[in-house]
Formats: sequence, structure tokens, C-alpha cells
Amino acid sequence: MTVAQVIISYAVWLALVVLCVSFLLTVWRVIKGPTLPDRVVALDMLTGIVIGFIALIAIRTGFTLYIDIAISLGLVGFLATVAFARFILSRGNRGAPKGDMMKTFTASVPEPRRRSAARRSSGTGPAVRRKAKK
Amino acid sequence: MITYILSLVFAVVWVAVTGSATLHNLIFGFALSTLVLWVVRDEMGARGYWRRLGRILSLLALFLKELALSAWKVAVLVVSPRMDLKPGIFAFPLTVTRDFEITLLANLITLTPGTLSVDVSEDRKTLFVHAIDCSDIEATKRDIANGFERKIMEAFR
Amino acid sequence: MMDILLAATTALLILGGAGFALVAAIGLNRLPDLYTRMHAASKAGTVGSGLLLLAVGVHAGDLPTFARALAGFFFFVLTAPVSAHLLAMAAHKVGYPLYAESVRDEMKDYDKRI
Repeated sequence: MTVAQVIISYAVWLALVVLCVSFLLTVWRVIKGPTLPDRVVALDMLTGIVIGFIALIAIRTGFTLYIDIAISLGLVGFLATVAFARFILSRGNRGAPKGDMMKTFTASVPEPRRRSAARRSSGTGPAVRRKAKK
Repeated sequence: MITYILSLVFAVVWVAVTGSATLHNLIFGFALSTLVLWVVRDEMGARGYWRRLGRILSLLALFLKELALSAWKVAVLVVSPRMDLKPGIFAFPLTVTRDFEITLLANLITLTPGTLSVDVSEDRKTLFVHAIDCSDIEATKRDIANGFERKIMEAFR
Repeated sequence: MMDILLAATTALLILGGAGFALVAAIGLNRLPDLYTRMHAASKAGTVGSGLLLLAVGVHAGDLPTFARALAGFFFFVLTAPVSAHLLAMAAHKVGYPLYAESVRDEMKDYDKRI
């Protein structure tokens, strides 16, 4: 092994460890939420990290064809994020904790229950919550 | 004339990207880029292209510099033990009017330190920008107006 | 000598990219609300994966590969702000709140008119 190969292989190992840590941290954000857009941001970030993984594998194995795979994964991730944004927009107020924009996340009612409550009544925030309590 | 030179440049890029430097591939790339340039013939407005190219390149250089700076600033902010945040959304009055220029400006703003464009008003006169540090909004607005917006006006007007 | 220089550049790009990815992931967990988290993900995250892609191009050392890696880099850099903007716009319109200590929200009145 030449000096150059040693440098590269150590750098790739270190980077793989660092990327694993960041992958786990991002997964933690996906699990924790607390809202759908937070998860979508984290999932978008996951795509980026996986692209990083693919690049590292390309360096390790020497198959430069991996670049094309990384680009297509980036395309898929971008389209998924756009689709999620459209979904959040079209879902409307049902998912969001409505009220003062400057307030922190209250998240008083868990999300699935709130959504089913909203389906029953087409009213806005407070009315929905009163119905859900019944 | 300039369109032909441009499609030749694109053909060379095509050969570089596909990675097979044969005559057939060069001709195919030339045909392909001619087709592509024909499709966007109305948007291009080929006159003054080369004069503009320098300004576009300078915009690109500014953009890359700001991108590096921005990633670095976010990194410093995130790892500092006590995060001192003053986030907020401010309205930026737009001078550029065309959709293309607004899109470009919004993208550039997103990739600059501490700012992220959120929405454009219906009348296309205001850009809403989320900033991570809202302590001096006037300075931020001035920076955007004198930096990116002026460069975009120079490059595409 | 030349190949060591090339390897050092590649290693620097790899470590820089991984570092930015790590910083973005930490930011995603430490920052207080959706909009500030988006700053971390769309800037540091994009630069992270972009640098790693560039590292592949530099490491391969031939022009076609480098051109492809560069194309990928610009693709990521250009799509990240679009998706961040769309997501921020959707979240704000629907009414996901800002961080409690946010100092201003000039978009609030605009949203209500829709």
C-alpha cells in the first residue's frame, strides 16, 4: 500500500464512523418529531447522509458508477420532499397545532386522534378540540 | 452564430460527462444540444451572451463563497455551547420583477448565512425571509439588496 | 508526490463533508423549532453531501468522473433550497408555530389574508 492509499483509507474509515453517528442523530429526530414537517426535514437530511455514504463506498471500491446512483437518490429525495410539502399544504390545518404562531408546540392532543376529530367536524382549532374531548 | 458555438461547447461537455470521446458521440452531443437550444430559443435571447457570461460567473463565485461561509456559520452556531437565537421572519421588498430572477434570488438567499426564504407575496413585491438572527434586520436587508440583488440585475438585465 | 497531494485533498474533502453532515445532524437535534432546523439541514447538510461527492470526483482523477461529480454537486446545491423553501412555506401557511422566543413574524398578516 502506498502512502496515498493509506491516507485515503484512514480518512474513509473516520468519515464512515462520523456519518454513522450523524445518521443515528438524524433518525432520533425522525422518531422524536414532534410534527410532520420536522420529520420531513429529518428524512430529507437522511437522504443527504445516505448520498454521503454512497460517495464513500464509491471511493472505497473505486466504482465511479456510484455517482450516478447518488444523483438519482438525490433526485428521488428531492421529489419526495416536494411531494410531502404539497401533502402538508393540502392537508391544511388538521395536522397543525392552531393558535398563536408565536407559541411553542403545545401538542395537547395526539396527532391521530386530532385528525379523526377534525374529520368529524369541519370547524377550526378550538371547536375541534372541544369535540375531541366528548 | 453564437448558438452554434454554444452547442459546440455543450457537445464537448456532453462528451466529458458521458466519458466516450468518439466522433459519433461528439456529433450526437452536438445534435442533442442544438435540439435543447432550439427548445429554449425564446428564453435565451442570445444577444450579449458573452458579455453576460462574465457577470454570471462572478455571481457564481459570490454564491460559492457565501455558501461556504453560510455552512461554516451554521456549524459554529450549532456547536457553540450556549445558542443565542433571535429567529424571526421579515419581509424583504423586491426590486427584481421577473419570475426567473425572483426564483434565483430566493435560492441564493436560502444558501446564505442565517437566512431562508419562505414565501413570495401574490403581487411578487415582497419576499418573506426567515432569519436565524433578527437583531439587525436593516443591515441584513441592505446586504441582500447590495449583494445578490444588484448582481442579478447586472447579469440578467 | 503528486498522488499524495491528490490523496490529501481527497481526505480533506471527505473529512470536511462528514464533519458538515455531523454538524447538520447535531443542529437538527439542538435547534428549537422547525424553521431554524431547516437552516441546519439545508445548508450544512447539502454542503456535507456535496463535498463527499466532489471527493469522489477528485479521487478518480479523470475528467468525465469529475464532471459528473461536479454536476451532482450543483444538482444538490440547487435543489436543497427549493425543497427547504417549499416545506417552510407549507408549514407556515398551515400554521406550524415559530419558536417561542422568535422576535418577529412579518408574514403572519399575509397568511391570514389567504
